[in-house]
Amino acid sequence: MGFPPPIPPSVLALAPLLALVAGALLVLLLEAFLKRKDGELPAFVAVFALLASAFFTVVSWNVGNSGVYLHGRLLVDNLALLVTGVLVLAGIAVILMSLKYAAHQDMNLGQLCGLLLLAVAGAMIMVSSSDGLVVFLGLEVLSVASYAMSGLKRQDRASSEAAAKYFLMGSFAGAFFVFGLALVFGTSGSLDLTAGLSAGASLSAFPAAGAVGLGLILTALFFKIAVAPFHMWAPDVYEGAPTPVTVFLTIVPKAAGLAVLLRVLLPLLSGETAAAAVFTPALSVAAVLTMFAGNLAALRQKSVKRMLAYSSIAHAGYLLVAIVAGDAPSLVFYLLVYLFMNGGAFAVLVAMSGRGFERASLGDFAGLGRRHPGLAASLSIFLLSLAGFPPTAGFLAKFYVFGAAVREGHILLAVAAVLASLIAVAYYLKIIVVMYMQDAEAAAAFDRDDPALFLVIFLGLLGVLQLGLWPGNALSLIRAAFNAF
Amino acid sequence: MRDSDFGLTLAAGKTKYRGKFHGLGYLRYPVALCIGSVLAMILSRNQAHNALFLVLAFSCLGGLFGLLDAPFAAAAQVLVYAGAIMVLFLFAIMMFNLREPAPRERRTLRTFLAAILGLVLFAELAIAAVRAIAPGSVSPGEPDGLAGLGRLLFTDYLYAFEITSLLILAALVGALALAGKKEGG
Repeated sequence: MGFPPPIPPSVLALAPLLALVAGALLVLLLEAFLKRKDGELPAFVAVFALLASAFFTVVSWNVGNSGVYLHGRLLVDNLALLVTGVLVLAGIAVILMSLKYAAHQDMNLGQLCGLLLLAVAGAMIMVSSSDGLVVFLGLEVLSVASYAMSGLKRQDRASSEAAAKYFLMGSFAGAFFVFGLALVFGTSGSLDLTAGLSAGASLSAFPAAGAVGLGLILTALFFKIAVAPFHMWAPDVYEGAPTPVTVFLTIVPKAAGLAVLLRVLLPLLSGETAAAAVFTPALSVAAVLTMFAGNLAALRQKSVKRMLAYSSIAHAGYLLVAIVAGDAPSLVFYLLVYLFMNGGAFAVLVAMSGRGFERASLGDFAGLGRRHPGLAASLSIFLLSLAGFPPTAGFLAKFYVFGAAVREGHILLAVAAVLASLIAVAYYLKIIVVMYMQDAEAAAAFDRDDPALFLVIFLGLLGVLQLGLWPGNALSLIRAAFNAF
Repeated sequence: MRDSDFGLTLAAGKTKYRGKFHGLGYLRYPVALCIGSVLAMILSRNQAHNALFLVLAFSCLGGLFGLLDAPFAAAAQVLVYAGAIMVLFLFAIMMFNLREPAPRERRTLRTFLAAILGLVLFAELAIAAVRAIAPGSVSPGEPDGLAGLGRLLFTDYLYAFEITSLLILAALVGALALAGKKEGG
């Protein structure tokens, strides 16, 4: 059928990663040796590397190249391939968004592209392994590159503060992960996160040190996803980082961390085991806390960027509901939709920024509906989707996640999630009201000459509306992927 | 360690003694130097001197590990602690530019807590040592020494080992991006 792969399966399994790393090296070499520093060549090379990575992912998918490679360190399955697709799309969106933004905000585009490729490579390593050591190394590659990216606006104090804060807190989370891994390895004798844990599925056979180790690993992952007791760093970092990097931070680490969580917890939570009796309530409480902490704090924000930062925390809570329900298809669908709506909303923020400054306060959006009807309409659609209104994809994503929770018997959790979504409507609508009902004091002129950014906004709109109105193709693809999972 | 249960293979002169506590005498000077440097570190009031004495203590420990025929532990001790971590300490001291010595502390709750923690650590080590020399205990040790470690790194853990290079690259580029000189003024 089709074309037989000209490359052996183990190389094909590594190919998406190799494409990214090769691209990163090329970008960094170009950055070091190219005479013209302000060129956009590094960005084109980076997008090409991401597209090559996507190509190899699709080839892997088409030939059904799933399996375990490299002595069990590399695991390719449908979950890994789907999430890799989401990660690559997010990477492309971030680079396209930052073409003009980098020049305006005095950022080095080459460094941004190189670090971004490395970070996506790290996330890819995380999702395509069940080996604790490899997951940790991938997490660190992702984190180290993210710390640097959030501080790339070197003239801006908030950006440097974001980088320092993220670095300090992230290092602690990394230490938690290593310590937890050491405990799990010491008690089970295996670095494999899934096998070592499902073997001790009954808590009596589950040594205390191993349970503590698992708890520490979960804490580290919760930190990366910005789940509620460990989300304190997130608003400052998301607000201080350059806006395209914020898009990256709100999507890629969350997607990778949730995929790892799903891999670790799915065997543990399925069935009436004693482990499930401990971890299901813990995860439910974390999910509820996250949703309410994010949404209630977002209500009080004056800056739209910070509001969206809190909104992304709340969305991590909704995504966690899918994990509690153990429903992989709805999780991946939500991630895909979240990529489009969140990326789109931040892309409008990027479009509003000017040379050397950003317009992110609520007042800057006053009268946007009259002056820039296209931008205002796009932002409205993204916000309605984030809030979960019916014709958009955000509604369907929430519907599937909450439906899965109800189906698995987590009625209270689903009710809490719906209540949290209702709170969220208030602040999403506030932005829309300001855009259409208030008049601006001073009309601000925008730089409209940024085709790449408008391509991102257009693709975001397409994704939000297409997945909202005709989700059939994507859904059947995702469902089919997990039938054998 | 192939056959000695405590894991001590002691080389004194040209003859090798294998056993529990025979011929520990030649370790007396490095141990004394190690304890002395730790004491000097605690008692010295100058931060740079503290750090340098700690480097000396770590190097002595590394030397002790080497004399006890644990070359990997010795190398890791010198590279990781004396090399990487202490350089970080010294950089921090340099960056904060601490000129005057730290004020003399009173014997407060902190001293008390430190003493308790020290005792707990000592008890832990004592229990571990007693268990290790108890008859019938299996010494974990290094099964095949450095060669085995290298073989594992390039077979089972090749993927993880290669990712480490990616991690170092990311850290390098990140540090350069954050701290490097601005292009073109």
